[in-house]
Amino acid sequence: MRMTPALVLVGSVVIFTASVFAVIVVPWQTMAHQPSAAWRELSADELAGRKLYIANGCTYCHSQFVRTQDWDLGMERISQPGDYLGLSPHLLGTTRTGPDLAQQGGEHPDDWHVAHLVSPRFTRPQSLMPRFEFLGQENIRLLIAYLQGMGGRDADQRVQRQQEWKARAVAAYNAGADENVKWLHDNVPEGWRPLPTPYPATEPSLQRGAKVYQDFCIGCHGPVGDGQGPAAPYLNPPPLNFTTLRRNLVDGKYIGGILYYQIMNGITGTAMPYFKHELESAKIWDVSNFIAANFIGFDDSNTEPAGIDASYEPLRTQKPASGRWRDHGKGDAP
Amino acid sequence: MRLVSDEEHSAARAFLVSGMVWMAIGTTFGLIGGIALAAPDAIRNVPWLVFGRVRPVHVNLVAVGFVPMVLIGAGLYLVPTLLRTRLYGERLAHVGIWLYNAALAIGAIELARGHTQAREYAELTWIPDVLIVGAFVALIISFGGTLARRQEPLLYVSVWYFGAALAVTAALYPLGNAMWNPSTGAVTGVLDAILLWFYGHNVVGLLLTPLALCAAYYLVPAITRAPLYSHTLSMIGFWSLLGFYTHIGGHHLLQAPIPVWLKVISVIDSVMMMIPVLVVLVNLWLTARGRFGDLFASVPGKFVLLGTINYLIVGVQGPLQSLPAVQRVTHFTQWTIAHAHLAVLGFTGMIALGALYYALPRVTGKLVWSERLANTQFWFVFLSVTAFMLVLTGAGLAQGHAWINGETVYRTVPMLSPYMMVRALFGVMLVLAAYLGLYNVLMTIYRGKPVAVEAAEGSVRKPATA
Ligand code: HEC
Ligand code: HEC
Ligand code: HEM
Ligand code: HEM
Repeated sequence: MRMTPALVLVGSVVIFTASVFAVIVVPWQTMAHQPSAAWRELSADELAGRKLYIANGCTYCHSQFVRTQDWDLGMERISQPGDYLGLSPHLLGTTRTGPDLAQQGGEHPDDWHVAHLVSPRFTRPQSLMPRFEFLGQENIRLLIAYLQGMGGRDADQRVQRQQEWKARAVAAYNAGADENVKWLHDNVPEGWRPLPTPYPATEPSLQRGAKVYQDFCIGCHGPVGDGQGPAAPYLNPPPLNFTTLRRNLVDGKYIGGILYYQIMNGITGTAMPYFKHELESAKIWDVSNFIAANFIGFDDSNTEPAGIDASYEPLRTQKPASGRWRDHGKGDAP
Repeated sequence: MRLVSDEEHSAARAFLVSGMVWMAIGTTFGLIGGIALAAPDAIRNVPWLVFGRVRPVHVNLVAVGFVPMVLIGAGLYLVPTLLRTRLYGERLAHVGIWLYNAALAIGAIELARGHTQAREYAELTWIPDVLIVGAFVALIISFGGTLARRQEPLLYVSVWYFGAALAVTAALYPLGNAMWNPSTGAVTGVLDAILLWFYGHNVVGLLLTPLALCAAYYLVPAITRAPLYSHTLSMIGFWSLLGFYTHIGGHHLLQAPIPVWLKVISVIDSVMMMIPVLVVLVNLWLTARGRFGDLFASVPGKFVLLGTINYLIVGVQGPLQSLPAVQRVTHFTQWTIAHAHLAVLGFTGMIALGALYYALPRVTGKLVWSERLANTQFWFVFLSVTAFMLVLTGAGLAQGHAWINGETVYRTVPMLSPYMMVRALFGVMLVLAAYLGLYNVLMTIYRGKPVAVEAAEGSVRKPATA
């Protein structure tokens, strides 16, 4: 075959046109352009926030679709073509340096987002995300409006839930420190409250807990557990001051189960996120031990009521004479 | 120096120099982005240096600026030489370069200010888009005129690739950027993703790849002084590239909510992409058989040889990562970033640098200012692109497997840190290489010793069967 200019040109153009027809025109004509059940129109604020999302390249670190395999791993709803109706440009994304945001709406309350956007490391100590403080208050508000709309109608329900509990949490906080803790603890299911931490607060457990605390909690609850982390000024109610909890014990006990439940479940309406996806139960018990032993100054770990002794922890009867599990294995020197 | 010179080879020269300038600026932005991922608070609260703005500046300056511009510059020398005539419309090509440079300068500033279309590889806004299309139109006219007045009746492979790249891009660019919607540069919904990735993959497949192959098909026979191995293979390689590449953009959206049949087509023909890759490489390597030493002995040859080796890796990796079972692990991770650097820099970028050092003495009439510097640049680029590939692939596999094991993204963030540090370190080396190259080019132009190129190196030997 002799390659003449005409052949090269006509050949390229024909192949190109055929491809455009097959992979652009045909999908355009045949895809059902119908909204999904969760789809809704974006509000003016949300659209303005979307522009900021575009302008600041959030899309290079965050995808906006849940895949089948993400669903296998616990995400709630696989994204559908109808979720994206009318949106231009698409922001599906190709890299997940940060988490998927398709269902971000209502995941956190607004105050969490403010602290996070000012500096992601305030709420997420190991985050890689850039600071967006330079956007200024108004733009941050718009951006959050957009984030809270991600997930459409499903998100609206979650956002509403956040707002309802926010009102109650703020009221409780304004009623005073002890009232607030009472409110918090009253909302922990009855069965959890009398539950002690099953695993003793030994030195290894505390060290593992310290690591979890540093990687996940320190930006809010602060290095000394007084709730004065760098995120605190942005949060209402502010992070709990653990050091006061000692006076809220009931009958001088009950704390492990409450800590576990609150950490696992989070406190909807407040900036306190749930950690059930990020921390396995052993880690939650360890960080509970760390908070209890270091900040509250009291831990009920490995006390009655308890079940069969764990195979690898010290026995309940082996509690050191000092009364502190962290002295276990160090010899009972006077 | 006049703005729109009519001097022979002046347009080629302008493209080469511009491309190298964009390489220097573009890699600098890459490094800023790389530092942000290693130490997110190193630069804080400077709006135009925030990662999300730096990244598109980087990608556009290197993938739309550096690589294609250097390759076009080389092409503007190689193609007229192959056609045994002068470039038609030297002035017009200069207009092209000004439009192209203006587009990148305006585009980069716009992106840094947050004005973007937010679609990967199609981020540039409408005005730069118009300028780029203008540049391609100017180049096409120039190329067409050159063809029309050629003294050589037969078209060598390089000319096919060069022509196809220009023609297809001129059509692809306005379509992919949805230029009929100036305010968004996009269509709506999932269809926008389909359109974007049709475009995005064709930018690398029908602009960067053919331009690089145009240069490789010229340089390998020229440097080894051997006739091209096979005309038939050249044709199979050319037509299969066009045939398969044009419609596999769906492999970027394998896990996204697009029609299943689109995914099926894209997977099948992504695997078929092995054909154009292997056919071209067999053709080039058999041309150089027994003379790889000659290739490696010259700076341009070295770059081109490594470029073709990287093309092999890319051409095996690409089809592999198009398989759903593989993407289950690799998609969304740094693995893809590794592929992107290996392909755009390791394959097309290295061939561009080879073509630069080959064409430079011929378009300036001066010997390359420092062979040693050029050689150093080669080793810097080679080492750092290899390190990028290994480190980012490692990071990607770690991320992908952790996610499959049920780890949340936040839990995998700290894992990235050592990889990101090493990448930033090698990034410094790569940036250095870019500035060394630019310096060498400028010194060649202003201080180089004059040379009679034809006498020194002889002209390309005509391929036997063309
Ligand atoms: C360099 C990459 C990067 C960029 C750019 C980026 N993020 Fe993030 N983002 C992350 C990482 C990593 C995390 C996980 C850690 C954290 O929560 O900070 C994250 C987390 C988030 C979360 C919390 C998700 C959750 O469910 O906990 C939100 C919301 C978010 N980013 C919004 C944004 C917005 C809005 C922008 C743009 C203004 C943006 N991100 C830009 C990397 C990035
Ligand atoms: C983004 C800020 C933030 C982060 C991060 C955070 N918390 Fe909280 N935490 C709060 C807020 C706010 C409250 C409740 C304030 C209120 O309603 O008074 C709270 C409450 C709690 C409580 C409830 C105590 C009780 O007695 O009911 C526990 C336990 C707790 N946090 C533990 C943790 C642990 C452990 C981590 C890390 C794994 C953590 N928090 C991370 C903000 C945070
Ligand atoms: C000329 C050389 C280079 C070329 C051709 C090049 C090309 C590219 C391309 C095409 C992308 C987009 C990747 C994708 O979306 O999958 C990219 C992203 C990136 N590049 Fe480069 N690059 C070069 C040099 C550098 C250098 C020197 C650095 C410095 C560290 C660097 C750091 C980055 C970073 C951090 C990203 C973003 C990755 C992410 O989103 O996680 N690049 N580059
Ligand atoms: C030879 C056949 C090739 C195949 C089958 C192929 C396949 C792929 C696939 C499947 C992806 C998406 C990966 C993912 O998101 O999970 C990808 C990304 C990419 N490829 Fe290739 N590739 C090939 C060659 C090339 C070449 C030659 C270049 C450049 C010259 C290139 C540049 C890129 C870039 C820049 C990306 C990143 C896109 C992004 O930003 O997400 N590829 N490739």
